[in-house]
Order: sequence, then C-alpha cells, then structure tokens
Amino acid sequence: MTRTLGAEHLPVLARGFSWLGAGGGGSTLTLELMLRQRQPWPLTVHDAQELSPATPAVAVGYAGSTYLMTERLPDTALFAPLLAAAERWTGQAARAVCSIEGGGMNGLTPFLLAPHLQLVDADFTGRALPRFDQMTMFVDEVPGLLACVSTGAGGVCVIEASRAQDVEALVRSAVVCAGGVGPVLIAGFTVGQLAEHAITGGLERALAVGRVDPSGPPAEVAAAVGGRYVGGGRVESVTPGVSDPYASSALMVGDDGTVLRLISHTEFLAVQRDGAVIASAPEVIVCLDPSTNEILEVQGIHPARRVEIFALPAPSWWSARPHRLAHVTPAAYGVQGLDQEGAACSTP
Amino acid sequence: MQHTLSLQALVAHPRNGGLRWIEPGDGTGPSAHPVVPLRDVVLVTSVDELPSCTGGESTQPGSPGSLVVFTQTPPREPWEADALLRRVKSRGHAALAFKEPVALGAGTLAVARRLGLLILGAGAPLELARAAWELQGNQDALTLGYVRKVAQSIEYHADHVQDLLRHLAASVGHGVALVDREGVLLEAGQHLSPDLHAALRSDAWTRATHAGGASGASVRVESPSREGLRLVFFDRGLAGTQLSALSVAAETAMPAVAARLLIDEVASVNNASIDSGLIRDFLEQPGGPDSDVRRRMHERGWRTSGVHLGFRILGLSRLTPLELLRSVSRETRTWDVDTHASTAGLGVIGWLTFSEPPSSQELERHTSALRELHRELRRSFNVSTGVGTPEAGAEGLASSLDAAGEAARVAAQRERGGHFLRIDALGLEQLLLSRTRNDTFLPTARSLLQPLIDAGGELLPTLGAYLDHESSTAATAQALGYHRNTVSTRIERIKDLLGLDLADPDTRLAVHLALRALQD
Repeated sequence: MTRTLGAEHLPVLARGFSWLGAGGGGSTLTLELMLRQRQPWPLTVHDAQELSPATPAVAVGYAGSTYLMTERLPDTALFAPLLAAAERWTGQAARAVCSIEGGGMNGLTPFLLAPHLQLVDADFTGRALPRFDQMTMFVDEVPGLLACVSTGAGGVCVIEASRAQDVEALVRSAVVCAGGVGPVLIAGFTVGQLAEHAITGGLERALAVGRVDPSGPPAEVAAAVGGRYVGGGRVESVTPGVSDPYASSALMVGDDGTVLRLISHTEFLAVQRDGAVIASAPEVIVCLDPSTNEILEVQGIHPARRVEIFALPAPSWWSARPHRLAHVTPAAYGVQGLDQEGAACSTP
Repeated sequence: MQHTLSLQALVAHPRNGGLRWIEPGDGTGPSAHPVVPLRDVVLVTSVDELPSCTGGESTQPGSPGSLVVFTQTPPREPWEADALLRRVKSRGHAALAFKEPVALGAGTLAVARRLGLLILGAGAPLELARAAWELQGNQDALTLGYVRKVAQSIEYHADHVQDLLRHLAASVGHGVALVDREGVLLEAGQHLSPDLHAALRSDAWTRATHAGGASGASVRVESPSREGLRLVFFDRGLAGTQLSALSVAAETAMPAVAARLLIDEVASVNNASIDSGLIRDFLEQPGGPDSDVRRRMHERGWRTSGVHLGFRILGLSRLTPLELLRSVSRETRTWDVDTHASTAGLGVIGWLTFSEPPSSQELERHTSALRELHRELRRSFNVSTGVGTPEAGAEGLASSLDAAGEAARVAAQRERGGHFLRIDALGLEQLLLSRTRNDTFLPTARSLLQPLIDAGGELLPTLGAYLDHESSTAATAQALGYHRNTVSTRIERIKDLLGLDLADPDTRLAVHLALRALQD
C-alpha cells in the first residue's frame, strides 16, 4: 500500500517514533527541525512488496550520542559522500532508502534522502536498540552488507565485515573519530531482502500510535496504542547499576501500593512489580509523564516524578526464529536476571 | 502441632552463625516478632537449587514455610535481589537468610514487606544450618554442645561467683542467674524478668518453663552455706529442645557454682579477719601506724592520705559480725565514695575517704547515707552506730575512728536518736560526761563537792554558772540575776570551802566535770 505523507504527518510520526523509542533512540525534535527546513512533502512511502525485489537499497541513521545532536545540528548533506562510497564499492546506484532503527529520531532519518531515493516502510529494529549487531540484517547474518560511516572532516569509512560484532566495534570507532555522533549508511542489500530480514510496517505503526490522544485514562490509552498499561507511580529514587553504571533502576511506589522497579540501560529494559518481572525488552516499554503527556527518555526518570508505564508488544519478527530473541532481551544489554520466558512479540 | 523449630529458637541459639533480623527491622529485638514456626531449613548455594517448599499447599496462610539459607551474599543489583525474593516466596518459603554482609536497598526491603517474606542475615550460613539440624530433634548434639561450653567456662579463672556466672553466660550464649525465692541475687549476660523468676520458683530438682516471651531452665543449688538457691539459664525465644538441653547444662554447671559460693564464703571470712587484725594494729599504735602497719594497709588498698570520716557499728546483742559486715558492704559498695569496712569485736568499723575535705553539704549527704544504712541494719540486727568527725591523715583516721567508737557507745544507751549518734551533734561535753557517768567517778565528784552541798544549795549553781562563763564575775552575775558583788563574795566562799585553786586549768576542768556529773 502506497501512502503519501504531507507536512501535517510530521508531528504524528515524530510522536509515534517517540513511543517506539522505548526511552532511547534520541529525541525526534532534531529531525523534525531538519525536515521542516527541507520540506520534502509530499512524500510517497512504499511497501517493500510494491517495489521490484531487485531494487538496490540503503538504510540510514545517526549513530553515537543523540544528546550531542541537540547541541550541534548535523549536516544533512553528510549522507551524500556515504551514498557515493557505497555506490563505488557495490558498483550499483541505490534507488530505495529505509531506516536502520525504527524508533526514536532514526525513524525519521530516511526522510532526509527522499524523494531522491524511494522511501520504503522498513527498518532493522522495529523499536530503538543501541547496537549494530542487534539489527535484523546482522542478526540474520545477511551476506554482503556494507557499512559506510562518516569519520568527520569529509572522511568516509567503508566497513565490509562478516561478523556483526566487528561492524559494531568499527562503526563505533569511526563515530568517535567523527566527534561522537555521525551518519551511518548500510548498503549491499535489495528491497526483496527487506521482506525477510527487516521489520516492515514500522512507519504505519508509528502513524497509528502517534495519533493516539495520551490524555485519557491509562487503560484506554494502552488499548489505543495496542499495548497494555503496566502501572503508574511516583519515582522514589534512581540508582545506577553496581556492575554497569549505564544500567540504572528507578524505585517507584505504585498507585496500588506495590513496589515498582523500572530498569533502564540506553532504553527501558524491564519493569518489576513486587520482584516479579511484568514487562521486559524486546517489549517496547514507554514512560509518560501524565501531567504533561510527555514521552520520557531514560534520563527523564527522576525522583518525585509521576510516571505511567506502558508496554507495547515487540515486532513478531524477533520471535519468528529462535536465534533472534537473544539479541534484544535485557541480557543482551548485559543486564542479568530480567529475561522473561516467552517474551511478548506479537505485532506483525 | 508443636514445632520444635521456630525462627525465634534459631535466633536464640548461641551458635547460629550470627543470625540477625533484617526485615522486619530488629530495632525492637526479636521478641517483637510473632513466633514463626518453620517446617524446615533449606541450604542452597545458588538460586537454581531452590526447591519448592515440600507439602504442596504450603503457601496457604498459617501453615509453616521453610527458612531458605543462602550461602551467598545478596545479588548486587537491586532488581536481581527483588527477583530472588519473589522466587523464594513463590516457592512457598517463609524466610530467607543471606550470608553477611547483607546491605539491601529500601526497595528490596519494601518488596520483602509486600511479599511477607522474612529476611535475615547470617555470618556463617553453614553454622546456621547446623544449629537448625540440632534443633530439629538432634537433642544429644545440642545438649553436648551446651555441656562442652559449660566445661570450657569452668576452665577460665574466676575471681568470684559473679565472675563465674559471667563466664558461663558468655560461653553458653544465654543469660545466667542465681536466684532465691525472693528475687535475683546475681545475673550475667541478660536480665531475668520478675515474671520468669516467679514461674521458675520451685523446689524441684530441675524446672524448665516459659513466661512472657522468655524461657528458662533452672536447677536447685546444693550448697551447705546457702539454702533455697537456684541456678537459671534463660533467654528469649527458646524452644523446648533448647530448654531441656539447657537443664542438663545447668545441672553440669551447678556443682561448680556451689563450690564457688563456698570458696567465696571462706575467702570473705579470711579477708574479714585480716582486715580486722590490721585495723586493731592500726588503732592500737598511739603515735600513728609504724612502717609495717603502713605497708600492710597499703597492700590492702587503704589510703591514709585525704580526709576520713569514721563510723562504728556496735552489736547491742549477740550477732555474727561477718553477716553484719556483708550487709554493710552490700550498701557501701554502691556509694560514690571510697569506703572501707571491717569486722571489729562485736560489730563493724569503717570509714569513708575523701581526697579533698568534703563540703558541709557533702558531709551531710554521707552522714544521712550512714543514718539510712543504720536504719536498714536495724531491721535485721540490734546495733548502735556512731559517726566521727572528718579528719585528715593517718592520725586523723585514728581519731575519727576513736570518736566514732565513743559515739557508738553513747548511742547504745540513747533510744532517742534510734541508737544513731554523730559526734558533731553530740558535743564534746556530752562525750566527757559519758566517760564520767560511771560508778567510780560519781562518788569522787560527790566527795569533791560535798563541802558546797553542805554549805547550802545555792553555791553549786553559782559555781556552775561561773565556770560556764569563763570565770567572769560580771557575766555570771548577769546570767543569774545577782549583783556582781554577791557573785564575787560567793566565789571567794567557794574557794575557801573547797580549798582549791580555780585558776589552775586542770582543777577547773575536774571541778566542772564533777559539777556536771552531779547536776545531770
């Protein structure tokens, strides 16, 4: 199904991708500002099945510290050298673009390359995830993938590695070289491969979720976004993890008197009620401040704040093959003891 | 069903690996927690070994769960600790003990409260498991453990019976007390409540009982010198198995305690006789103590420097001086001043030593304490008590003790002050009078003054007033309401009649005393 997007869809999409950011993935505001300048509207979004399967495609996104992007607006022209490098390496000009990450700011990043490239409704995560080796193409070990990363000052690093961990390590080094944040482009695949090795329909989901009015009763909001209401309460304290300071746990007194614990890394990873895990990644755990309806990022959880927690099911792609799920549970973040058996991955 | 194993019994077990309450908090002590019966104690080294509580419907309220003893410290991440608590609870267990150090966050403790799971800490989890094993019907091991501890405590040197009780309390790990029918004579380790004392009152050989959360096991002490004594081992939260094991421990410890009581008795008699001999030697040396006496006094810790306030307690009828001394020492031990006492003749002699001269308020306070002591003693002994004046140095000590002795002798005949007399209140004159009012002096006085008696009644009062007023004719005349010429005429006549020189101080004193002795 082809859909045409106008400027009026931008805030809805931004809000939808914020939901799918699960507390990470960066603020969509930067991308919203960049797109308002570019004004690519009207934009046509294609289903992966609509285009010829042999269409060469690329996936784009920003990697590194999303916080840095709030200080320094990135140059949209930076994707051009990456695209050129990929073209030189593969010998093929890309004709379609999708996102490397279907949550947070990167949900909107491919819009920067449209309509020059055809925009495909597909991404490699279906939510926000921090690492390249967690992306669907690398999880499924699709051969011939190429990562092009800006190293800053006009430089481009082209990575052709067969091991996903190597891609992650090398991209990370290049991003550090570029100043902590920079554009990344994955090439070497076709639109046909997206149907099997990527998550499709994320943009449609973002549109649907972004339209939901969050001011209603939590249970109704949860039903409207296709998820469930996990619980609400007041944050008592936030303490960093002992073995990994990037992990943290927020202690909350639940509205029903229960003890809620919200465990976070770069995203929200899990929620415990009285010691029992009641939601965990890859479920998309979303925190709302009910007084402002703001969708909170991990660093927005602080003592005395009232928070309502929702859980949206993860794309079913993650549980369709047995090897996939281990890449996205809390243990994949290095946080032990929170993995649930039979995690909820139901959304197509 | 009576469970021999309860959490309280484990907490009360002296070798429980340092078990302590963590949740609910132990600010109020384990007695604040209701008795938690335990089905079993499960020792696990990791979460994966955690079994389900045996017995199916174990999570239903009222049915006992198990104590899970974890040989590890709590997980480091709070969410891992929360999850562990949840797992332990969901498998039907009642309590969870971690290896120390146990530093759980507020959130994890709140989860424990929500789940109703008790959290404890133990320094040595294996020892805790062993304690549980002993309590779970391995009575002989438990008893033997206690008996061995009793034997170990006898091995250590004890200065007196209280010391021995302290050793026993420390090694057995429970409170120890020596009681009679009236109350607690000595206790160590813990405080024996009056409720438990009342419950333990018995003539039986051994007795084990509970009262008000505490329980104890007692045994009769077979002592030739003291009757009706019982030795008690007691604590809070003891189970039946522990009490019967402690009864055996008490039986084992009893002969040592009885022997010690006898040894103390002999030592105190011996001590008293040494003290008493030394005091006699000290008082009998008129020029102050010689170097030998000084050395012996120093050895016994008697200071002669400073200011001393002597007191003497005299038996007015037959009594045992040693018993009297024991009663005196029991009181004086609690005073905030250096006090010594010893038997002397048919009574007790003693003194208070102050490093600085005491203020009059201080002196008053100590005198009242002595008066109170006297009143207390009069309940059991027919005694009189005399108190001297505060005086400095070795000589001062001797004279203060002398004065106290005089006062006690005077007090013996004075019902009015309750047989208590303080030398300051007595007055020197009274003292002299008491010395003169006897069968040898009175006839001498009468014969000395006979000429004045024969010459008419008015001369004696005139002489009395004259001597009282320092031989001043004018003052005497004023006191008696006569003209001074009348007084001087009479004095001349008295001198003539007596044939004595009233200007001589010795003569004046003799006449004055004789006069008082006759007038009184």
